[in-house]
Amino acid sequence: LNAAPGRPPRQHVRFLPASAGDDGRVTGLVATKVPVLADHPLVRGPRFRHLKIGAGHRLDVKASGVFVLGIGHGNKLLTDLYNCHLTKVAFFLPFFKAYTVGGLFGKATDDFSDTGKLVEKTTFDHITREKLERILAVIQGTNHKALLMYSNIDMKTQEAYELAVKGLIRPMGKSPPIITAIRCLQFTLPEFQLEIHCLHETQQYLRKVVHEIGLELKSSAVCTQVRRIRDGVFTLDDALLRTQWNLQSVQKAIWDCQLKVKTELERTL
Amino acid sequence: GALRGARRAVEVPLAPRRGLAEAAGRRSTRQLKEAEEAAPVFQYVGKAAKRKDRVFVWGFCYSGALGVPSFVKPDAGWKKPRRIQPTPYRLETEEKISSAACGYGFTLLSSTTTDITKVWGMGLNKDSQLGFQRSRKDQTKGYEYVLEPSPIPLPLEKPQQTRVLQVSCGRAHSLILTDSEGVFTMGNNSYGQCGRKVVEDEIYSESHLIHQLKEFDSRVVQVVCGQDHSLFRTKQGTVYACGWGADGQTGLGHYNITSIPTKLRGDIAGVNIIQVSSYGDCCLAVSDEGDVFGWGNSEYLQLASVTETTQVNVPRHLPFKIGKIKEAACGGTGNVVLTEEGNVFVWGYGILGKGPNLIETAVPEMIPPSLFGWSDFSPDVRVAHVRCGLSQFAALTNRGELFVWGKNLRGCLGTGRMEDQYFPWRVTVPGEVVDVACGVDHMVSMVKSFT
Repeated sequence: LNAAPGRPPRQHVRFLPASAGDDGRVTGLVATKVPVLADHPLVRGPRFRHLKIGAGHRLDVKASGVFVLGIGHGNKLLTDLYNCHLTKVAFFLPFFKAYTVGGLFGKATDDFSDTGKLVEKTTFDHITREKLERILAVIQGTNHKALLMYSNIDMKTQEAYELAVKGLIRPMGKSPPIITAIRCLQFTLPEFQLEIHCLHETQQYLRKVVHEIGLELKSSAVCTQVRRIRDGVFTLDDALLRTQWNLQSVQKAIWDCQLKVKTELERTL
Repeated sequence: GALRGARRAVEVPLAPRRGLAEAAGRRSTRQLKEAEEAAPVFQYVGKAAKRKDRVFVWGFCYSGALGVPSFVKPDAGWKKPRRIQPTPYRLETEEKISSAACGYGFTLLSSTTTDITKVWGMGLNKDSQLGFQRSRKDQTKGYEYVLEPSPIPLPLEKPQQTRVLQVSCGRAHSLILTDSEGVFTMGNNSYGQCGRKVVEDEIYSESHLIHQLKEFDSRVVQVVCGQDHSLFRTKQGTVYACGWGADGQTGLGHYNITSIPTKLRGDIAGVNIIQVSSYGDCCLAVSDEGDVFGWGNSEYLQLASVTETTQVNVPRHLPFKIGKIKEAACGGTGNVVLTEEGNVFVWGYGILGKGPNLIETAVPEMIPPSLFGWSDFSPDVRVAHVRCGLSQFAALTNRGELFVWGKNLRGCLGTGRMEDQYFPWRVTVPGEVVDVACGVDHMVSMVKSFT
């Protein structure tokens, strides 16, 4: 960043002595525009010494996927986006995250992931996709109820009915993790893959959900993969790969996302 | 992890013992892997395990209608009697229950078994709506309240062959439908609702009398109890009625009581009726072509779409333009129908399910499917059945979820809250709900476990 050509130095008007005549005497003052000495790179030093980089929603070490960072002014935009819960009708898109979660039937570990210490091994040949989908339907149902409960809207009002019909009731402010949608993408015993849309979650909570699905099916399951595919308005397409972690790609990405972020902020404010 | 059943395990401990010559400290990845492979595998349920059938109850407990004696008479000194069970509670039954019905303060459960005991009853028994329940303390007297599911002895000719198909309960009478021996009726008969001649000054409590009805034009396939009347639907699609008729709910063209089941005419004459429903004083019938017919009480606009009279004593066709109707359910003041496309329509008076602003309507209004779990993410969720209690509604989806709405009288909605529910709300049941029976202040559901 520092190597890139910076802004041209500011100019200001100075009254300088006119160039001397033949005999070297100063004749008068001439107004000339000269660069401000304070802006000279040798005086100023490198232009960027610190960069404020803030993270959006957390992503833990074992998970992968979209991770939103705000640079400089972007941090303020992020806080604005996440403070939208103070508005009257809760817009949930900034909090909305989607994950693909991979699971494996047959074992249970202490930290619910496949790298943890083994607690128990169980059979899983009785599990079918149908049974799994039934459990997922119930999970979605109970979480939907929690969604309505934490939204702090009085259920007896017509407003609550209208919001419930449109599916716009969302929790205001803090709430425990809530799964808004869950479905099975792939199922080949013993592996399976789920797509989970959630709010206010942590990746460890998702691993716990996989573990509990295993228990409900009278077997056990561990989580093999947690990958965030969407964080608010940012999807996998916007994300930079490891090979793209250089200045040009970052600048381009910021540029491309600007419009999206602007429209989202306008909606919430 | 509270679902563990019986475990079959090997006695090998999880961590293999360390030999004396091995060093202590962190084990290498290979050692961990080997330990993991050597660990025993537990089997909680086998490959051919079948899903279990369960019964869940909730609502007002003191009548005994929930069938859990400890709610009324606690079995431990420190426990207090429970007046209301606000969330589904599992009821242990000996047999698989195939049909359940909730009356006004009592419940009937029946099974299609060929064993001697096919029907169980619990709750209020002051009119012998549960048959004669001999008291253990005094052999000459019967119980007024039955607190746990007790067998109802039926005077069957072939008790080990006949099966009970369906049960239905009204305010103080019950109907039991069998596959080959007609319909058995018990309970209050002051208006002829049991299908037999009214006996003046008859005492209904502690009565042994169970009446059998066999004279219909063909086999009876559905029995329905209104508040004080009974409806019978036969295989040929005809409907018979008996009982109280002051609101025209017997549909026989007069407002008197009827003590012998008589065939209905009016707009359903010659129509093949595939379903009948009633719970209060209004009745609905659905034909095989998707038309709906109604008769009975119309004080709450149930039949106002065709007539201004508040008592309709002849079945009238209700010309609704909402599509072919698959199923109808009648409540005390509100009605609900389910169309072939899976949409739910409500009309009548009371909490209809479209928010507090919709209190009454004579014309059916649709409840948006998004309230039943339909969304872009799950577009194939459909309502499969609709049921009515006296002032509440229930809907079952094809995913096995139960939604309820209406007046939450003594916790009968099962949502865990005591407030009325103005739009469909999920009831959390640990299993797939197969059927539900709604009463005045309690409900019973038949559920299949997940695995």
